Amino acid sequence: MPLKGNSSNSVRSPPTAMIRDLSTPNAAEKHLAQMESKYHGLLEAAPDAMVVVNQGGDIVLLNLQAEKQFGYRRDELLGQMVTNIIPEGFAERLIADDLRSAEDALAQQIGTGIELIGRRKDGSNFPIELMLSPLASTEGTLVTAAIRDISARKAAEKHLAQMESKYRGLLEAAPDAMVVVNQGGDIVLLNVQAEKQFGYRRDELLGQKVTNIIPEGFAERLVADDLRSAEDALAQQIGTGIELIARRKDRGEFPIEIMLSPLESTEGTLVTAAIRDISVRKAAEANLLQKMKELYRSNEELEQFAYFASHDLQEPLRMVASYTQLLSRRYKGKLDADADEFIAFAVDGASRMQRLIQDLLAYSRVRSKGMNLLDMSSEDALQQALVNLRGAIEESGALVTNDPLPRVVADEMQLIQLFQNLVANAIKYQKPGIPLVHISAVRNGGKKLLFSVRDNGLGIDPQYFERIFGLFQRLHKREEFAGTGIGLAICKKIVERHGGRISVESQPGHGSTFRFTLAGSKEAS
Amino acid sequence: MSIEILLVEDSPGDVRLTQEAFRDANRLIQLHVASDGVEAMAFLKREGARIHAPRPDLVLLDLNLPKMDGREVLAQIKGDDDLKTIPTLILTTSEAEADILKSYRLQANCYLNKPVRFDAFESLVKSINDFWLTRVKLPPQTPSG
Repeated sequence: MPLKGNSSNSVRSPPTAMIRDLSTPNAAEKHLAQMESKYHGLLEAAPDAMVVVNQGGDIVLLNLQAEKQFGYRRDELLGQMVTNIIPEGFAERLIADDLRSAEDALAQQIGTGIELIGRRKDGSNFPIELMLSPLASTEGTLVTAAIRDISARKAAEKHLAQMESKYRGLLEAAPDAMVVVNQGGDIVLLNVQAEKQFGYRRDELLGQKVTNIIPEGFAERLVADDLRSAEDALAQQIGTGIELIARRKDRGEFPIEIMLSPLESTEGTLVTAAIRDISVRKAAEANLLQKMKELYRSNEELEQFAYFASHDLQEPLRMVASYTQLLSRRYKGKLDADADEFIAFAVDGASRMQRLIQDLLAYSRVRSKGMNLLDMSSEDALQQALVNLRGAIEESGALVTNDPLPRVVADEMQLIQLFQNLVANAIKYQKPGIPLVHISAVRNGGKKLLFSVRDNGLGIDPQYFERIFGLFQRLHKREEFAGTGIGLAICKKIVERHGGRISVESQPGHGSTFRFTLAGSKEAS
Repeated sequence: MSIEILLVEDSPGDVRLTQEAFRDANRLIQLHVASDGVEAMAFLKREGARIHAPRPDLVLLDLNLPKMDGREVLAQIKGDDDLKTIPTLILTTSEAEADILKSYRLQANCYLNKPVRFDAFESLVKSINDFWLTRVKLPPQTPSG
């Protein structure tokens, strides 16, 4: 690209040559020459491009960096107008910068110069930062220009601006209220959700202390949350934030959950706060808690009722049962056949009622009369249950066997009851032939034990597997098998009180296996 | 020679059942009934209308009685030099451990639960007869005073 010279077509000679052209070097001139050579040295060594311009706007001096930055040889630029390399803005800068001395300008880092556009020999432009200072010389005041290529910085700034704008976009779009706070605790940024939640206009909150909207707890949270990045905080659902109280413009308060994360900025570390109004959730939690309390109380009342009903009913029932039995005994065959039949039904009814009430009482007592769970031998409990069932076992001719059983953590009375009910059922619901019952136990992951009571009886249809554990559920007619339908419900309640589960595996006609889990003893058994 | 038993029981239904059961068990038994604690003590001390009451060989005592309850009667019997030698059996529907303990503390001779089923009750009465009135040696009757 052709360089513009001055209106007079001659190329001026460099001032260094002019300076050297003085006639007789005296002491002052010698000093000046020393200064000038020192100055040249500094210029050449400067890390930035340095160009010295005269009052006419011509380049009278330049350094190696200038050659490199602009892509010219030194002789190509000397004597040319500075506007060849800095098309616009140079003159204006002259006025602004007239207070700085030459040495200061050379020594100081360019930090606050003006930004202009530089043009290279090949015609391409690049952003520069310019800092000027006056230089006194025999030819009048020259201007030293320190020029820095700020392309990289400009690119970084542009990138940062894009990131910031993307961040602002995210912030604005976030479904939760977002508030950015500086280290002094002032709100420096907020989104529209924050305006809505707190009832303020944006300008009313910017610059205010965050404690105006979150009176307590914010500062403490800062310390806890300093590990999360900004993007993570925005993207992640608030699930484990801290719960605080927030205050609206109308002074109303509401519960919030906040999550904080640091945000690096040119103004130091800021804090982004994601704020969620959890009033609805809190109300739901309170409601749930209330319902649970009511349910618990209602359960307790039911158990108390079951207990009192069965307990108070026993006395009059004893009268009815005993006297109908006496009647039956004393007058059977002495009154007419109808009387015998009537009395028989009454006796049977009373007797069933007694069994029902006893079982109901036992059911209601599983929790209320439960004892502490202690380390004990389940083998002993089984043997005691078998002693209790001696009559039924002899009568049915059943063969009851068991593997060695481990030590468990249980309520002794209830474990005996459990075995007793299950073995009694195994013996009762039988096909013709010898009833076989076998009890065993295996480890079931960690400290849990899985007990099995297996029989060769009638079996159970799979559709009833769940129902049989319900209260008063019976699968057989009264004429086929006596029973209250409470036995398995008691078993289930006992097992669940021990933190275990009970289930059945069976096939009609092929026997059943009842299984339940219990906690094993802490010692190896 | 008849055997005198004092039954302290407030429920007429229970009284009758006990009578039937003892009649079946042992025809020699004479069952006397007091329906509350006050009557029981009057009988035992032969006071007022009960001046001609026989000294019982055995006392069957329910715990829950009106006016003066069985626990109080027990304490009085066992606290009385003359009466304390009479075997006193608690016969009650209460299974409460507290009641059992208190009764033995007050020196009851034994504690029995009234069974719910009648046949079991009959069997119990038979046991009482077998043990207390057949096998056990009762204290000799001392002249009154």
